Amino acid sequence: MPPPAILVRALRKSYGAKAAVDGLDLEVPRGSFFGFLGPNGAGKSTTIRILTGLIPADSGSVEILGFRLPQEELEIKRRIGLVPDESLLFDRLTGLEFLEFVGRMYGLERPAAIERGRGLMDLFELPADRKIIAEYSKGMRKRVAMAASLIHHPELFLMDEPFEGVDAVGARLMKDILVDQVHRGATVFLTSHVLEVVERLCDRVAIIHAGRIVTSGTMEDLRADGQSLEDAFVRLVGAERPAERLSWL
Amino acid sequence: MIAAILRAQAISMRMGKRRGAVLSALVAVLWYGMWAGVACAVFALAYAARLAALRVYAPLGFLGVFVYWQIAPVLTANLGSALDTRKLLAYPIAHGKLFLVDLLLRLTGAGEMVMVLGAGMLGILANPASGNGRDWPRAAIAALLFLCFNLLLASGMRSLLERLLSRRGVRELVVLGMLMLWVAPRLVMVSGYHPAWLGSGAAVLGAAIWPWGAAARASLPGGPAGLALLTLGCWMAVAGWFGRAQFERGLRFDAEAAQARPLEGGARREGFLERFYRLPGWIWRDPLAGMVEKELRSLARTPRFRTVFIMGFTFGLLVWLPMAMRPHHVGQGAIERNFLTIVSLYALTLLGQVSYWNCFGLDRSAARIYFVIPHPVGTALVAKNIASLVFIYAEVLLLTAIVAALRLLAGWGQVLETLLVVGICASYVMALGNVSSVYYPRPLKPERVSGGGASSRFQALIFLLYPVALLPVALAYLARYALASQAAFAAVLAMAAAIGAALYWVAMDSAVEAAGRRRETLIEELARGDGPVDSE
Repeated sequence: MPPPAILVRALRKSYGAKAAVDGLDLEVPRGSFFGFLGPNGAGKSTTIRILTGLIPADSGSVEILGFRLPQEELEIKRRIGLVPDESLLFDRLTGLEFLEFVGRMYGLERPAAIERGRGLMDLFELPADRKIIAEYSKGMRKRVAMAASLIHHPELFLMDEPFEGVDAVGARLMKDILVDQVHRGATVFLTSHVLEVVERLCDRVAIIHAGRIVTSGTMEDLRADGQSLEDAFVRLVGAERPAERLSWL
Repeated sequence: MIAAILRAQAISMRMGKRRGAVLSALVAVLWYGMWAGVACAVFALAYAARLAALRVYAPLGFLGVFVYWQIAPVLTANLGSALDTRKLLAYPIAHGKLFLVDLLLRLTGAGEMVMVLGAGMLGILANPASGNGRDWPRAAIAALLFLCFNLLLASGMRSLLERLLSRRGVRELVVLGMLMLWVAPRLVMVSGYHPAWLGSGAAVLGAAIWPWGAAARASLPGGPAGLALLTLGCWMAVAGWFGRAQFERGLRFDAEAAQARPLEGGARREGFLERFYRLPGWIWRDPLAGMVEKELRSLARTPRFRTVFIMGFTFGLLVWLPMAMRPHHVGQGAIERNFLTIVSLYALTLLGQVSYWNCFGLDRSAARIYFVIPHPVGTALVAKNIASLVFIYAEVLLLTAIVAALRLLAGWGQVLETLLVVGICASYVMALGNVSSVYYPRPLKPERVSGGGASSRFQALIFLLYPVALLPVALAYLARYALASQAAFAAVLAMAAAIGAALYWVAMDSAVEAAGRRRETLIEELARGDGPVDSE
């Protein structure tokens, strides 16, 4: 049986006195569409940054696709596709040039990188002109980022709010592509604040709150008592309190 | 409301620059200490001068203040603090209030001139020949009007320049034009050309119709002070109208629209550039070739880099040309003999701010990609250094062509020597630059053509690092001069090259290790945003 796509044990990361990730345990099976949810400041982005090797953990162990982080960092990086919360794009390149650059960074020969880049530009309906990325809209930038994460055919996708700022057509396209990737055996690990999206796409979910996993399991488990994902989420992160009112509001 | 805006900026700056506070304070003390010395000298001169001399030199003094106030910030790329209006336009703040804050911030770029102006005025008032301060209200009003005039004009000039510098294709020409204006008079003087009208220039410049002439007359006893103050008031009103009008136009200006134009050019030009960008693929393998190619494309399309690149073979040339053109030096001066080498090294230092001192600056938050891809960050540093070197040698080739056209080239041996010397010096500055890029990263706005470059604390260190980096090569020239031997020169140069290579290797190791250790801080620094006030 292959090792899980992501296996995290007792992960900790603190900023000063505040623990952003506080003893996090997580297991993401291969081939799953995994939703990683949590309120603002819960530690989602910090976790993804640790998983991508952008920041070091204070303690704990991380295994991705059977490779240990940070010892086998390069092996892991070769196999993951990343769509971060902030732009990873070089503004002064055109969309196609950026895709070619990323393809070559992942070991593709130049002709193959250009060919795949062109295909992805078509697929994501991106303009094939000489427009540089600095002149792209936010949605177009997300599409380029998503296209770049696909170019080397990764086994695992790490995505932080991939649909944020993308229009409905673009989001639908991106979702369809991700579902296809899961069908071919890849694993998708994504964070999103749009619970409807997670509910529709993901087969497994983990909810993080104050740096700890408060629940993890299949979508069916979470909705076992007939409640929606939103209900479960609000209950688990302890936000079920009457809204306070300001006298002047 | 004004206090809230200034407070927000103060907090933003405090958060961003806490660690470099000591060095920044030290630099500020040294800078303002020097200007305090100038102010004292101005006070002494104004205090001791006879009235006749004051009448001749006071207008020129005021003119000096005016010129420095208006032009120096532009030339030194220090446009002072100003409002980033985009961040404040969403709030219900009257434009008049925003303009007032902008004017207050303008003062941050003119503190030294306020000191000099104040000292000069105090000197005039204390001077027994001018009545021992009896006319202080008149002088105070003149000083205030002159200060406001400069402040308003500087505000308008900044807005105007900001808009011009945001326009694609125009900004480089504007910068170049300004630099030429600065250097051209010096060049004309050195060339020996003295038109007849130049003799009466001082008298024309000192006339009461000009704001500096009016300010001088209003400050000194015995003249038509009322008329002078009225003239000064009129100038201030014109400057006020100009400043406010430019500020309003700046508020309505859409910088993105001004810059938004697809990269299009003639098919031949595109084809040539594409072949140029593909060159690294012939020499290196991926990932290095891909990274160098990316750097060449990005830098060539970055207005900030393009402007500095153009300055490298124009401004530098004009700065050094007068020294090489002095009649008594032609054919024998050290500067003329080594002219190509000197201007090439000058170009190397100019490119530093937008390349090797702050390698990741133009990538900003996208620099994270170097930590995500499956390659060591050292490869990215090497690629950035190679790309910088390509542009540095492009500068040398352009300079060689120009210097040859000016008949200042001392043979092809000098070209070879320049290529070697520039390469060796580049190994030193890039070694230091790789370390500084990791320890002192700072995001650079690619569409801006001025400001920033390195963090303020590192900016001070650069002044110390350049002499250190150029010292080994300077020793080679010293050896040639002292021993009158080409062999000695070559031997010391070879030694400098070997030390440079070793230093580069050691510094690269150190930079890579530090980049891994500090990656979180590095990425955070490069993704840092601004407060409501643009302090670049």
